[in-house]
Order: sequence, then structure tokens, then C-alpha cells
Amino acid sequence: MSRIRIAGVALVAALAVPSVASAGQYPPPADPGAPQKPPKGPFHTLQVCKKDCKYKTIQAAVNKAKAGDTVKVKSGVYHEQVKISGASKRYLKLVGNPGSPSKVVIDSSRGKAAARQNGVWVTDADQVTVNGFTARHYNGNGFFVLNANGYTLKNLNATLGGVYGIYAFNSVGGTMSDSQASYNNDAGFYIGQTPPQTTPKRSTVTRVKSFGNVLGFSGTNMRYVTITKSQWFNNGTGLVPNALDSEKYAPDEDNVITDNDIFWNNFNYYAGAPFKRKRTSVGSVAYPVGVGLIIFGGRRNVVSNNRIYGNYLAGVGILKQIVLKQADAADPVGNQVHDNQFGLGGADLNGRELVYDGSGSDNCFGPNAGVTTTLPADGSTFAACPFQGANAFNGAAQTEAIGWAGDTTHEKFWIKHPHAPKKGYTPLEHYKK
Amino acid sequence: MPPESETGLPRRSFFAVGAGALLCSIGGEQVLLSKPGDAAKADAAARRIAAPRARAAATKPPPGADPVDQLKFPTPQPQPGGVRREFWIQARDALWDIVPTRPRRDQWHGRAVAGPSVYRAFVYQQMTVGFAAPLGPPRIPGPTLYAEVGDTLVVHFRNGLSERTGQALTMHPHGVKYNPDYDGVYLGDFTRAGGFIAPGDEFTYTWEATPDAVGVWPYHDHGPNHTLNTFRGLFGAVIVREKGAKAPDMEAVLFFHSLAPPVTGLERQFQCINGRAFAGNTPTLRAKAGQDVAIHVMGMDSNFHDFHIHGHRWKDPNGTFVDTPAVGPNETLTARFVEDNPGRWLYHCHVFTHQDGGMAGWYLVEP
Repeated sequence: MSRIRIAGVALVAALAVPSVASAGQYPPPADPGAPQKPPKGPFHTLQVCKKDCKYKTIQAAVNKAKAGDTVKVKSGVYHEQVKISGASKRYLKLVGNPGSPSKVVIDSSRGKAAARQNGVWVTDADQVTVNGFTARHYNGNGFFVLNANGYTLKNLNATLGGVYGIYAFNSVGGTMSDSQASYNNDAGFYIGQTPPQTTPKRSTVTRVKSFGNVLGFSGTNMRYVTITKSQWFNNGTGLVPNALDSEKYAPDEDNVITDNDIFWNNFNYYAGAPFKRKRTSVGSVAYPVGVGLIIFGGRRNVVSNNRIYGNYLAGVGILKQIVLKQADAADPVGNQVHDNQFGLGGADLNGRELVYDGSGSDNCFGPNAGVTTTLPADGSTFAACPFQGANAFNGAAQTEAIGWAGDTTHEKFWIKHPHAPKKGYTPLEHYKK
Repeated sequence: MPPESETGLPRRSFFAVGAGALLCSIGGEQVLLSKPGDAAKADAAARRIAAPRARAAATKPPPGADPVDQLKFPTPQPQPGGVRREFWIQARDALWDIVPTRPRRDQWHGRAVAGPSVYRAFVYQQMTVGFAAPLGPPRIPGPTLYAEVGDTLVVHFRNGLSERTGQALTMHPHGVKYNPDYDGVYLGDFTRAGGFIAPGDEFTYTWEATPDAVGVWPYHDHGPNHTLNTFRGLFGAVIVREKGAKAPDMEAVLFFHSLAPPVTGLERQFQCINGRAFAGNTPTLRAKAGQDVAIHVMGMDSNFHDFHIHGHRWKDPNGTFVDTPAVGPNETLTARFVEDNPGRWLYHCHVFTHQDGGMAGWYLVEP
């Protein structure tokens, strides 16, 4: 979730709860409960196509499908919202064209607002697979899973959306892979509000690309997520594991971000964007533009073995979630940032490699390669890994970093360096039609 | 011997247990594994076990509960100067070749070994942080976990078996200190958090390297189907040293164990070291004259073994020189000596049926 509110009293008390991200009316999150039992079959395949198929709409086939069935959708553009709801649809496989997701499109640009909210929406159905689709022009989310024990979202493309691209909320375990999200008005990928578990099921995000979004990845109160082998670039901010009161189970905990490329997250969408940028509610601002990754409150997150470069404000930051009402969850605790390569060997520097206000405890940094500039500049907050105990708080660093969020130009505090050319990629700072 | 009524086994089957078969108690069922294919019966029994009642939140205590079952335990932290040593370990199944040389060969006797020799093992596989990728191929034993006194071993364990066909597993260490949550043992209704990790689930164990944990210890599965799954390959070693202690120049961990037809589904029984049988397949150890050598041997089946290295002798814990000491199930012996005898040497279990069944390997010493 991208919105954080300026309280307007003192700059240091600037970051606060989000505005409502206009995500539409959904059922309230419920405990996903015990996993639904695998269906026994026999299983059937239902064909969907625009002509000469029994089913002309995806929803008609989904409505007819039983648990564990496959709904196979042939090439075409489908103007509908697909809802897969309830235990009777568990283990459903919704398959478009895994090799060419662009050929099977769910386009939400037509119809009444209620039907344009999501491309595919899975709710209270476990272990559903959605494979091989493009969703575009949705007001809410491209692919959305709610209240599920397990899901598989792969070979998807979510683009030009009102809120999130590929999104799982209040769910336990799942996979997002081999997919792309671009030009979404909030996060390209989002896993949020993971229920705490004694013997957790991990969620995995792997081999995905996220670009041109307000946020590449948001993780509000997310848990047990590994994000790996993916590219996060040309977003306003790359990745944001964060704690918020607006969702249950703060803070974010026990996530691992490893072996990713996090670069060029300097997309100033305020100056223009291909998506319809929703008006910021009064007193609210977004995360600052130009950050590779920021942990805004959170416990035991590991950021390691990533390549982080060309982010004009900062490569990696850790800050206290200073206005979280749940005060005991506000401090970052036990987060580790190590074995990352910053600045592409000096060829594509970040504005600052590391930013940390020294709040909380047990947070540690390093070894990391290529760290040249930090906030605070004297590096006093960056305890080497492993580290235990209270970190060295630096109030001036916190004030300065939080002040970035109040910058109405969104570029004032950038420290720009030239980018190294990257074949097939073009830096996006200001969108041009 | 318990009466038939306790085991539910006919007398003839019960005697068969003594002939290399396994009698497994799995969640209140007793399953006899006496021939290839029988492991499926134990797996089915293991899958029938629901998550233990004591684990369910806010449920009433199970019958027979004691106040100690309601105790809460803090997660231990390293001592001053100690560190958290984190490991990411996934249990999974993998095809494992007991005799991987081709053609299959016993180099000691210079003879062919009749196949087949591949079975579906269960292994502890070390992963990168967040289980993002394997840190090497599956192997038996699992990774050796090193720590120094004052450290905590923080083991992120994932049961990577299929959620549809798998069964609960755990990691249970010897030697190190842990509270009941981190014991990693299935105890029926009294099972604590770490004693039943269902397929697809994770659990983070925290174990303490206390001063009395110095040594070499096994870890293994101790879930509902522990005997079968340990025999399948779910075991490894923990090595705890004094703080700042120098490691030996050459250090090896050898598990002596058997892989029997009821476990592997193969027709013949293999006598193994680290999941392999017959010299040339088992670990070939290498050292140089003058090196400080430590070879740790653990038993990981229901037999006693005698560890013998040709051309060498060392002191046992009592100070007596030995060259063929015995080691029992989950016990550790260490042969530690300064190498002084170059050449090709055989090491093996000196229980004759074991050495002839493959429990032997090479020790090559350079001048």
C-alpha cells in the first residue's frame, strides 16, 4: 500500500497511516481457516473462446466448473471480471496461454464500475491456479487472491491498473512467478496481511518483472515471503516491506529478499503517468520517489545478495514506522542487509547506498559491496552483521529521511548519477506519451 | 517381548522383526515393515495423523495433561560474545544412488556390485536464505552444523514433501540445549510447536551451544514416522567447539547405517557409510602426514558398529589406545590423531557382515 499521510504538525512526525487505496468493496478478510481438502475428481476441462465454444465468457465456465477442474481460455480479449469464489472452486486451474499471456486478455475498460474492479478475483478458494493471462485497465487489481490457503499465479501480465497488479491478501502460502506488472497506480506486486503462523507456509515471488508502478512491490504486514530472481526497476519506489495499522497483523516479519536486481526506481509519476493517477487525499503523500527498497517498520527481514543501483534517493533504507499506533511494532527489529552489491561496481551509483535512522534493535548491515554514501554520513547507525542489542539511534538522520516524503517536487533530494546502459532497458523518470 | 495383544502382530511376524525388518509405532498404529513396498504402509499411517491437539490454539488440555504442558518458553539468545548462526534446511525426497560408480563397483574387492541401487531417499538439504535456492545437491547426511560455545543455532526448517502425499517431519538435535518447543519430537497429544511440521510448513528451531554441548552430535527426524524417515536419510551432524578453538586440519563425519529392503524397496540390503555402500562409493577420506585428523563416527541404525582404520590407532576417552572401538545408535566416537602413516588405507566397520555388505571406504594419506 503506497499512501502515507503527512500529519502536518512537525516534519519529523510526518509519516502516518495510508489513505484508503480505493480498492473497492470486498468481503472483510476472514481467517483462511483449515486448508480445504483436495478434490477427488473426476476432473474435467471446460473450453472458453469467443466463437464455437460451449462457453463464451470465462465466468460462465468458472460457474460451471467443479473443484479441481480446468478452465481453458483460448486467445482473445475478454471484457469481464472473473470471480472464483468459495470452496466449491478450490484447486481450479484457470489457464490461458502460458507461453504468450498477451494473447489472452482480460480487459476491464468497458462496462459498469462494479464489473471493472478486478481482472481475476479468487476468494475463499484454496490452491487455485491462474496461468497465462494479461489483465489491463482494471480499476482495482489485475489478479487478486483473498483468504486462501495456497495459490499459484504464473505467466501473468498486469498492466495499466487502478491499484495493484498481482495481489494476495490475508492468505497463507502461495506462489507468484514468471509474471510482469507495469504501470499500476499502487504496487505492481503486493502480498499483505499474512496471518501469523506457528509453522508457517512460505510464499514465493520469483522470476517476475515490475516496472512503471508507483511501487514495484508492497508488503504491508506480510510474512514468510521470499522474493527472488526478479527485477524491480523504473518504479517510484522498488520494494516496500512495511507496517500499517490499516491492515491486521502489523508489522511485516520474516521476509527474505535475495538475488534480485533493484535499479532505476526514479519514476516520478507525479509529473505524468500512463495510468490515471488518483488524487492524493488531503494531508497524504506517497513514499518518496527514488528508493530501491525501504523497510518501514518490520522484524527479521533479510535483504541479501541483491544488485541495487541507480536509485537516486537511496538504495536501501530502514526507518521506524514512527506513527504506527501499535507502538511495539513500530521499531525495526532484527533486519539484516548484507552481501548486496551496490552501484554496479561504481558504474551506476545510488544517490545514497544505505539509509537508516538507527531505531530499534538487532538490525545489521554488511558486508555489502560498493557502499560509498550513506545517511547518516558518518555511518554510525550501521552495525555490522551479526548484531544484537539496541541500535545507535540518530534523530537527525530520521528527520532528514522523513523530510524526503514531504518534498512536493519529489526530486529535490535526489543525488543523480549517470546510469550505465542496460540492453533492452530504458530509464523512466518522466513519462512521455 | 510384549504379548501379541500389545503389538497386534501375529507371532510369526513378530519374530521377523528381528531379522532386519522394522516395527514402527506411528501415531497409535503399529506397522511391520518386512519386505520391499512395506514402507507405503508406514507412510499411509503417518499421513493419517492430524496435527496434535496440544498445538491447536486455545484448546482445552488433552487427557492426562500436566501443568508442565502449559509452560511457555522464551526463545534463547546468544550469550555475550556469541552469535546467531542461521541455517535454512529443507527436507525433501530425492532419488539417491547407494552405489553410484558405473559400472557399480566394490573397489576393495575389485568386483562388480549387482544392481539396482537407487531408491527414493528423504534428505535434509541446505538452502540459501529464504529457501530461495539449494546450496548444493541433495546428500546424505544433511549439512554439518557448526557452532561455538555461546552461540545459538537458528535452524529454519521446511518440510518440502508434497502437501498432497507427504507426511509430518521434524529436526531433533542431540547434545545442544533446547527447550521443549525446540525439541523437534512428536509426542502425540503433548507435541509442542516444533514436533510436527506438516508438508509445506516451516518452523524455526533455536538451539543453544552451551559449554556442555561441546562435541559432535547427530540430528535426525523425530516426527510421527521417525524410524523409517531417519533410516531413509534424514540425519546429519552438529559440531560444537569451544570458543575460538582451532578446527582439526582434516575433519570428517561418517554415519554407519544400513539401507534395508523395507526402507528402499530394493531387493538387497546395503551396509552404508553416509548413504553409500562399498569402497569407491563411500567417502574417500584424504589427509597429509603431520595433520591433526578427526574422524567422527556415528551409528544411525539399530546396530552397533566397530570403527577400524588400517594402519592407525588413537586414544579413546579413557586414554586407552584403540583401533576398533564400538559405537551404538546415535552415539558418537571420534578418532583423533596426528597423521604419521602415508599410503592407501581401508577404513570399515569391523562387524563382518557389515564390512562385507559395503560398510567400508578408502583413507588416502599423502606423505
